[in-house]
Amino acid sequence: MGFVVACCFLLVSPALAGETQHVLVLYSNHRLLPANLEFEAGLRETLADSTELSAEFLNYPRFDGASYIRALALFLNEKYARRPPGVLVAAGEESLDFLLRHRAELFPRIPMVHGAVARSFLSSLPPLPADVVGVPIEYDFPGTIDLALRWHPRARRLVVVTGSSAQDHAWEAKLRGEILQFQGRVTVEFLVGLPTDAILKRLSELGSDAVVFTPGYFEDGVGRQFSPREAARLMAAAAAPVYGPFDTFMGTGIVGGSMPNFAAMGRQAGEIANALLAGVTPTALRLPEIMLPTANFDWRQVRRWDIDANAIPGDAIAWFKEPTFLEAHRNEAIMAAAVFLLQAGLIAWLLVERRRRRLANLAVQQQRFELAHAARLAVAGELTGAIAHEINQPLGAILSNADTADLLLTSGVDRRDELRAILADIRRDDLRASAVIQRLRALLAKHAVERQPFDLNGAVREMEPVLQPEARRRGVALEVRPAATAAPLVGDRVQIQQVLLNLVLNALDAVNGLPEARRTVAVSVERDADRVILVVRDCGHGIAPEHLPKLFDSFFSTKRRGMGLGLSIARTLVEVHGGRIRAESRLGEGAVFQAEWPVAGDAGSLGPA
Amino acid sequence: MTTLPPMIHVVDDDESLRTALLRLLGAAGFEARGYASTGDFLLQPPPDRPGCLLLDVRMPGPSGLDLQATLRCQSNPLPVVFLTGYADVTASVRAMKAGAVDFLTKPVEREALFEALQRALDRDAAQRVARAEAERLRAAFAALTPRERAVFDRIVAGQINKQIADTLGIAERTVKLQRAQLMAKLGANSAAELGRLAERLQHLPD
Repeated sequence: MGFVVACCFLLVSPALAGETQHVLVLYSNHRLLPANLEFEAGLRETLADSTELSAEFLNYPRFDGASYIRALALFLNEKYARRPPGVLVAAGEESLDFLLRHRAELFPRIPMVHGAVARSFLSSLPPLPADVVGVPIEYDFPGTIDLALRWHPRARRLVVVTGSSAQDHAWEAKLRGEILQFQGRVTVEFLVGLPTDAILKRLSELGSDAVVFTPGYFEDGVGRQFSPREAARLMAAAAAPVYGPFDTFMGTGIVGGSMPNFAAMGRQAGEIANALLAGVTPTALRLPEIMLPTANFDWRQVRRWDIDANAIPGDAIAWFKEPTFLEAHRNEAIMAAAVFLLQAGLIAWLLVERRRRRLANLAVQQQRFELAHAARLAVAGELTGAIAHEINQPLGAILSNADTADLLLTSGVDRRDELRAILADIRRDDLRASAVIQRLRALLAKHAVERQPFDLNGAVREMEPVLQPEARRRGVALEVRPAATAAPLVGDRVQIQQVLLNLVLNALDAVNGLPEARRTVAVSVERDADRVILVVRDCGHGIAPEHLPKLFDSFFSTKRRGMGLGLSIARTLVEVHGGRIRAESRLGEGAVFQAEWPVAGDAGSLGPA
Repeated sequence: MTTLPPMIHVVDDDESLRTALLRLLGAAGFEARGYASTGDFLLQPPPDRPGCLLLDVRMPGPSGLDLQATLRCQSNPLPVVFLTGYADVTASVRAMKAGAVDFLTKPVEREALFEALQRALDRDAAQRVARAEAERLRAAFAALTPRERAVFDRIVAGQINKQIADTLGIAERTVKLQRAQLMAKLGANSAAELGRLAERLQHLPD
């Protein structure tokens, strides 16, 4: 449409440019009819701002009659004699009829646009003059009824309501003709010319199997005047879904209908008026044949009557569709969502990071423990000799005792007391061997890390059977001196024993090859008010000052075959238990390793060990 | 001296094992004595009687290997059987090189133990016989006069009587007399036998 009009501007007559344009629109009905308001809004929106728009109203059907018409014509004649409009707009059929009759006397040679005129009405008139143009509408009664029946597939009754005015009767006549096509689908009942109260009562009694169609009415059976919209509003309050053909009904409570759009009609008329004002010859206009109706529906009613949304065509116009929160506050929602997402993402990322860090920490700790365990196994390899000695000693005694018993029994001499002594010794040695194995197993088994209170004195003493043989094997005097009082710690006993083991093995290495007097290592547990201290002292060569800072680093070793893990693992295990470890040494005067932990809990008040 | 039964000296710091070993040896008819350390053993020098040592390798203070080395310096060392809790190769090689009869590992089978000890005692007995024989030889040799000794040296060197008489500036008859005397003293019947004696004298232990 816009394109057509734009083309027509090529034909603009320059003579008219610059003058103030004036358009007069004459409405069939009174000024507050919703259809008129919408039409005028569309018209106003389309006309140039500089174009002056005058509006007049026939006030049909409230006012009628030859004298009224004559007086009105006279009025218009007087009113617009000095300011004749450049274009006339006839809004509505009565308006078109009036202007066609009176244009020659009132507004000679002024081109006219008609709007909101039904095609059926046009076809009842003689052909329009060439300078009267417009796009006819079609009030789509059957389309609306069809819509109603499709949206209420269970409906069995169609109730049609019209009124008593001439227009109402015209609509009734139109309806009676068009309704025939629905006869097979539903039972049709007409409520014609009833008082409004009666109509409403009848409608309120309808069951769920009924739908109502009404074009509204101007006058009810007792002569009360209405606008069709008011009538529709009253009816829509009834207990059945009401459909109507005019978009002015939207919002009254009707469900919807197939409707021409009055605002669109106004815009259409406005565009034609613009072209005509610009000097386009009316016959040069290429106009659509008809204003197509579109499906309109009231979203609230669709929900009220539980209509299947799938049955509603996609191009239907939704009214009063409450904007969802997102639609109403789109930007804010997007912003908030973005912020929320960002924040959520950040939180998620932080959580993931935290989890990863925790897992990594766990993995590191796990690896440390694995390493500590591996180191214990490695140490066990070093201790094999001492351990084998420690176990074979009782085993040797057991075997010899058993052999002796055998010999005694074979000899036949009754030496019961000796046999008894032998058995007692066997028993004792067996337990001794088993104790060594158990101790070893406790040290070497891959156990879950424990957190138990224990006494460092006891833990150190337990290690003596493992440490002493090794010291003996290496020809080193190992002195073990527990603290005089309890030395309570909380943690993993075996890991602390491993610390001791690593420190003692290091000390044994340190004194290796020295004269016998210096081949001594002293282990002691010390205790002060708030600390438990494990001290391992040797009389070896000592540690070079430049090595001291790196002493506890992984893979730092001064030994030819050392991995450099022993002290690093010792430090890890000490620190895992909340303690710290340090080394002091004077070159040539031996070294002292001290691991200290805070005293655990109230156990510190225990009496002497 | 040879009438005394052999004595087995058990040196082991582990009291329980020592007791068990002594019991076993006693039940098997051996005479045995226990020592808690090498020091103990050295402080109570055993009477000079046949026997052997059953020695632990690792002990506080001087080890079994140290004791073995010390004993080797003595004139009549007792054979040593080692009995160790853990047979590391270095220690066993060292022990065997130093003349140990065997290197056993605890726990030891009775038969293996007895067999090793028996070998040690046999070796001790053989050593004692050899030592007695050498003693006798040395004594006999010591009984020779300087002249007889000179004649002996030359006989062993392969000279005949005439050559010996010329060298020593004595009569050949005197040589024959002294030869008869020294052969009687040494208990030899021929020059060849004298040669073998000379050989053995050279290899006698101090």
